[in-house]
Amino acid sequence: MSADNEQQAREQLIDLAAQFYDQFELGEIPHMDVPTRTKSNIEYDEDLDVWVYGDRTSTRSANSVRGARKLLKAVYTIEFLADQLDQDRSSTLRELYYLSESWDNENAQFNDQDESNQLVEDLEIVSGATREDFHMRPEESGATIMGPLFLREQTRRGEREIHCQEDVGEGGYQIPNNPDTIEFLDSDAEFILCVETGGMRDRLVENGFDEEYGALIVHLKGQPARATRRITKRLHDELEIPVTVFADGDPWSYRIYASVAYGSIKSAHLSEYLATPQAQYIGIQPADIVEYDLPTDPLSDSDINALESELEDPRFQTDYWEEQIELQLDIGKKAEQQALASRGLDFVTDTYLPERLEAMGVF
Amino acid sequence: MTAFQSTLGDEAGIAEELAENQRAISIAEFFEKNKHMLGFDSGARGLVTAVKEAVDNALDAAEESGILPDIYVEIEESGDYYKLIVEDNGPGLTKESLPKVFGKLLYGSRFHKREQSRGQQGIGISAAVLYSQLTSGKPAKITSRTQGSSEAQYFELIIDTDENEPEISVDRTTTWDRPHGTRIELEMEGNMRARQQLHDYIKHTAVVNPHARLELREPQAHFKFERATDQLPEETEEIRPHPHGVELGTVIKMLNATDSHSVSGFLQEEFTRVGKKTADSVIDEFRDRHYGREMSWTPPGPHESADVAAAVTDATVNKGATATEAFATAIADAVADSDRVAHHELLAIVDSSADAAEDEHGTTFGETVRENAAEAAWAELAGIAGEEESTDETDADADADPDDHSRLVTDLYELADGATSTRKDDEVVHAFAVRLAGKFEDSEDTRHRLTHKTLVEFVDRAAELTEEYDDVAFGDTARENVVDAIWSVMVTVPDDPPLVRELSGDRDATSELVDGMRATDIMAPPTRCLSPISDELIEAGLKKEFDADFYAAATRDADVSGGDPFIVEAGIAYGGDLEAEGSANVMRFANRVPLVYQRGACATTDVVKSIGWRNYGLDQPGGSGVPNGPVVIMIHIASTNVPFTSESKDAVANVPEIEDEIELAIREAARDLKSYLNKRRSMQKRRKKQNVLGKILPEMATKVAEVTGRNEPEIDDAIARIMNNVLVERRLEENGDGQSVEVVVENHSGTTESLAVTDIVTAEPSNLSDGATVVEMDGEWFVKWNADVSSGDEAVLTYEVSTDAAFDIDVDGVEAEKLTVTDTDTGTNQ
Repeated sequence: MSADNEQQAREQLIDLAAQFYDQFELGEIPHMDVPTRTKSNIEYDEDLDVWVYGDRTSTRSANSVRGARKLLKAVYTIEFLADQLDQDRSSTLRELYYLSESWDNENAQFNDQDESNQLVEDLEIVSGATREDFHMRPEESGATIMGPLFLREQTRRGEREIHCQEDVGEGGYQIPNNPDTIEFLDSDAEFILCVETGGMRDRLVENGFDEEYGALIVHLKGQPARATRRITKRLHDELEIPVTVFADGDPWSYRIYASVAYGSIKSAHLSEYLATPQAQYIGIQPADIVEYDLPTDPLSDSDINALESELEDPRFQTDYWEEQIELQLDIGKKAEQQALASRGLDFVTDTYLPERLEAMGVF
Repeated sequence: MTAFQSTLGDEAGIAEELAENQRAISIAEFFEKNKHMLGFDSGARGLVTAVKEAVDNALDAAEESGILPDIYVEIEESGDYYKLIVEDNGPGLTKESLPKVFGKLLYGSRFHKREQSRGQQGIGISAAVLYSQLTSGKPAKITSRTQGSSEAQYFELIIDTDENEPEISVDRTTTWDRPHGTRIELEMEGNMRARQQLHDYIKHTAVVNPHARLELREPQAHFKFERATDQLPEETEEIRPHPHGVELGTVIKMLNATDSHSVSGFLQEEFTRVGKKTADSVIDEFRDRHYGREMSWTPPGPHESADVAAAVTDATVNKGATATEAFATAIADAVADSDRVAHHELLAIVDSSADAAEDEHGTTFGETVRENAAEAAWAELAGIAGEEESTDETDADADADPDDHSRLVTDLYELADGATSTRKDDEVVHAFAVRLAGKFEDSEDTRHRLTHKTLVEFVDRAAELTEEYDDVAFGDTARENVVDAIWSVMVTVPDDPPLVRELSGDRDATSELVDGMRATDIMAPPTRCLSPISDELIEAGLKKEFDADFYAAATRDADVSGGDPFIVEAGIAYGGDLEAEGSANVMRFANRVPLVYQRGACATTDVVKSIGWRNYGLDQPGGSGVPNGPVVIMIHIASTNVPFTSESKDAVANVPEIEDEIELAIREAARDLKSYLNKRRSMQKRRKKQNVLGKILPEMATKVAEVTGRNEPEIDDAIARIMNNVLVERRLEENGDGQSVEVVVENHSGTTESLAVTDIVTAEPSNLSDGATVVEMDGEWFVKWNADVSSGDEAVLTYEVSTDAAFDIDVDGVEAEKLTVTDTDTGTNQ
C-alpha cells in the first residue's frame, strides 16, 4: 500500500461527492448506481478467472426518504473518510458506526452496523478503491500462518522481519489487516494448506505437518477475512505454489472454499485481488465420508437448503461439485474435520492428507 | 273458569248494560287518547311535531302553486305555554277550505293520490291544531291572504272533538304585510327540551329543500337558511295506483267509487299501466280463480268404444235422418280434430255444427236438441256412462268397455306419467290415474270445472289413497308436478266476469281479482310522480349547511316496491368543520321531510350500519355499525307511499327493495368518498415526504459543498423532480434600464397540469409573451397567464419591467402539495 493509493482513494471519494453536487446543479435527482450484490448477479470473468458482478445495478437514489437518507449518510461518510486519510488515521467498521452518533445530523446516523458496513462496500465499489485504501479495518482478523516463510512487515512501529516458523510461537504469525504491507523474502514452502478450524490447525502443527511436508498452514477461522484471502492469493501468485483448502464436510465449508477460490458474493468487486481460482479442495468430501466410513451427523433442513442453493450457485456449477453435492444429499450425512480422529490422532497427518494430496497431484 | 261463566250467566242483562255504554268515538277523541301515535307524546316532542307538520304543510302549499317557499317559524314563551307561529308565502286559503284543512282530521288532497308529497294522511296540521286546543284551551289563530286580494282574513278556529268538525269563532279582515300566504298561530303546552331536534329539523329541511328560504326564531336562537337555488322541484304528476301495489280494502273502495261497468273498464280506468291486453290477462287470471278451469279430454280414438257420432245420433230425435247424421258427423269430426276438448269447447262445437246443419238442411236445431246432443257427446268424451241419464245404448257401451274408466284413466295416466319421475312404477301411476279419474267422475260438476284448489284436493286424495293401498310414496313434488301438468291442459272458461256492481258486494270475488292482478305481469309504474332532489342539489344543500372538505351525492334510478315507485338518493359530506369525534351524523329524509325521531328503528340506519365502511376509508369500530369521524351521511327516499313504521312518520320500515336501493345509493356516494380519502392520504404522504426530503436534501447539498469545497448547489429542480412536482421559478436578468423576467413552469408530474399564474408586479410590465394579459389595479399590475404543461415539459412566461419592481406570484390549478414555487432573485446563480 502506497501513499499514492491513498491519495487516489481520497480523490475518488471527493469525486463521488462532486458527482452528487453536479446532479443537484443539473436538476437531476442525486443518485449512485452500484452492482446488485446477489447470487443471481455474479458472473464468471474469463480473463481474470474469478467471479465478478454482472450488469445488474441497484440505484441508491434520493427519490425516496430512505434513499435520500442513505445518500446523506454516504456524503457524511465520504467526509469522514477523506478527513481520516488526510490525517493518516485508521478506524474499524464498528468505530465508524459509533462515530456516526457524534455527527450533528440525526438523519445521517447509522441505524445498525450492517448499514455502515454496506455503505463502505458501496463506496468501495463506486470509487474502485478498497476499504483498506480508506484505512477502514474489520474488528479482528486474527487469522494466522505457520510454515517455512520469511517475510518483512511494514508496521506503524517500523519494519519487522519475521520467520513464520522460527520467530513465532505456537500460535503462528498473525496476518495484519492490510497484507499489502508485507514483503515475502524467502520461502521453502511446497504448498499452502488453508484449514477451517482451529482444532485441526493445532493438530497439524502439533504433528509437525508443516515441517514434514513444507506446508504453509493458513488458519481460515471459519469464513476467511479479506486479509486472509488476500495473503493467500499473494502467496500463491508470488511464491507460485499450489493452494489447498481443508474444511469440514458440510455445505457451509464448501462456501468457505468458494470464497477462497472464487470470491464471495459480497465482495465480488474485489475478486481480482482476493480470489485464488487455482485453490483446490481437499476435503472433507462427501466421497471421503463413504470411503473412510467417518462418524457423521445427519443433514439438517437448513443444511439441505444450503446444498440445494449451492446447486444453483454459479460458483458451484462444475462437474466435481455437482457430483459431490448430489452424493451428500443422497447419503444425507455430514462430517467434521475432527471426525478423522476416530481413526487415531495421527491418521489425518499420516494417512488422510498425504493420500488426498497425492491424489490431487500436489505432491 | 266454569265458575266464572256461570256467574256471568246469572247476571242477566249484562251485555245490554255494556252495550248502553258503547258509543261511537270521534276521530278527534281518538286522537286525544292516542297522541303518541301522531308524535305528540310529550311536551318537548309535541312542539317539534307541530313545527314539523306546519312547515311541511307550508312547503307543500307553496310548491304546489309554483312559488319558491319562504317560511318563517317563531316560537315564543307565553306564560306557561309556548306560542308557535308559522308563516308561509303560499297561495293562501279561502274561508271555505281553511277550517277543513286546519280543523278536520283526515281531510286532505293527498291521501288518495299516487304522487310524491310531504304530507300523506291529512292528519298532521289538524293534529297540531287539536293538540294546541287540548293543552292550552285556546283556538288556533289563522291569518290568510290569497293572491291578489287587498286584505287578509283573520280567523280563530276550534275543533269540536265530538263531531270532528271545525268551528270558526272569529272571522274578520285584517292587514298583513305578506302579499299572499298563510300564518298560523298555535298556543300549546310544551317545553324546549327537544331544542336540538328542532334545530336539526329546520337545518335538515334546509338541506333537502335548497330552493326554500327558512327562518327560525326561538327564545334562545335565531337562524336563517337562504336559498341555494331558485329552481323549484320538478312538479310531480299524480298517477293512478299500480295493480301490484293495492290492497283488497282499497280495491273494494275503488270498486264502489268507479264509474266503470265492466271489470275490464275498471282495470283500465283506475289503474296505471293497464291497457286492454293487460286487463284481459288479469281477467283470465280472475276467471281461473273465480270459476276454475275446465278439464279438457282427448277425443276418442278409432279403437275406442266411445262414439261421439253415435251418441249424438241417439240423443237427437225428430230431426230427420240426413240432418241428424250431418249434425252428428260434424260434431264428431270437430271433436276428433281437436287435441283436447273441454266442456265449453264442446258446447261451441255443438252450436256451430247445429248452425251448419240448420243452414244446410233447413231443420231447426233448438236449445233442447243442442243441449241433449252436447250432453251425450260430453258423456262419451268424459266417460260419463250410465248414471241417471243412462239409456240402454250407453249401458251396452259400458258393458262393451272392458275397463270401467278407460277414457279418463288413459288421459290422466299419460299426464301423470309424464309429470312424475321415471322411477315410479307403471302400475302405481296407473292405480293413481284410476283413483284420480274416479274423483273427476264423482265430481258434482259434470263439466269437470274445478278451481286450482279443488284440483289440488283431487290429486292429494288420489295420491293418499295410492300411498295407503299400494304402499308407495307419492310425495309433494310428484303431486305438485301432476297438478301443474293437469292445470296446464285445463282451459280457462269463457264465462263473462261479473260486472263491477256485482263484484263490489262480493268480498271473495274481489279478493280473487286482487290475486289475479298480482299474478299478472304488469309494467313497472311510471316515475313522473316522483320528484327526487337530484344529486347536484343534494351536494348544494350539503355545501350550504355543512362546511366540509368533500361532498358526494348519488341519485338512483326509480324502482318499485308494492306498486309504489320510489327513488333513493344519498349524499356524503366529509372533513372540514364537521365534528371529528364520535360517530357519523346520519340524516334521514322521506319525501323531503327530515326524520328526526326513532333513528334506531329506521331501515336507513340499519343499512348504514350494515355497510363495511372500512372499505371506504372510514373508521368503523368492530367492522359494523355507524362509522366514526367527521362525516355526514344523508339518505332521501322519495316515494308515492313511503312505508313508515308508524303514523308519526319517524322511521322507514324495513322493506327489502327499498333497503337494497338505499345501500346502492350510499355505496355509490361512498365510492367517491373513498377515492377522495385515498387521494388525501397520498397527498398527506407526499407532504410528509416533502417535509423530510425538504430537510435532508439541503443538508446533503451543504455537505457535498463542504466536501468538494464549492458553493452550495441549487436543489429546487431536484426536489421538484423527486416530488413529481410542478416547479414555478422566476428568473431575472438585467436588461438595459430594466430587467427581463422569466417565469418558468417545469412539470415533473406524471400528468398534464393546467396552471393559472398571477404575478403581481409593482411596475408596469411590457413585452408580454403570448397568452399573458395584464390588468392594472391600484398601482399594481396583475400579469395573468394560463399554461397547460404536459408531463415532463416546461413553459415560459416572459416580460420586461423596470429594475425597482417587486413581485408576488400566485399559482392556482395545482394542489399545494404538488407545487414548488421559487420566487427569489436567482440572477446571481446564472
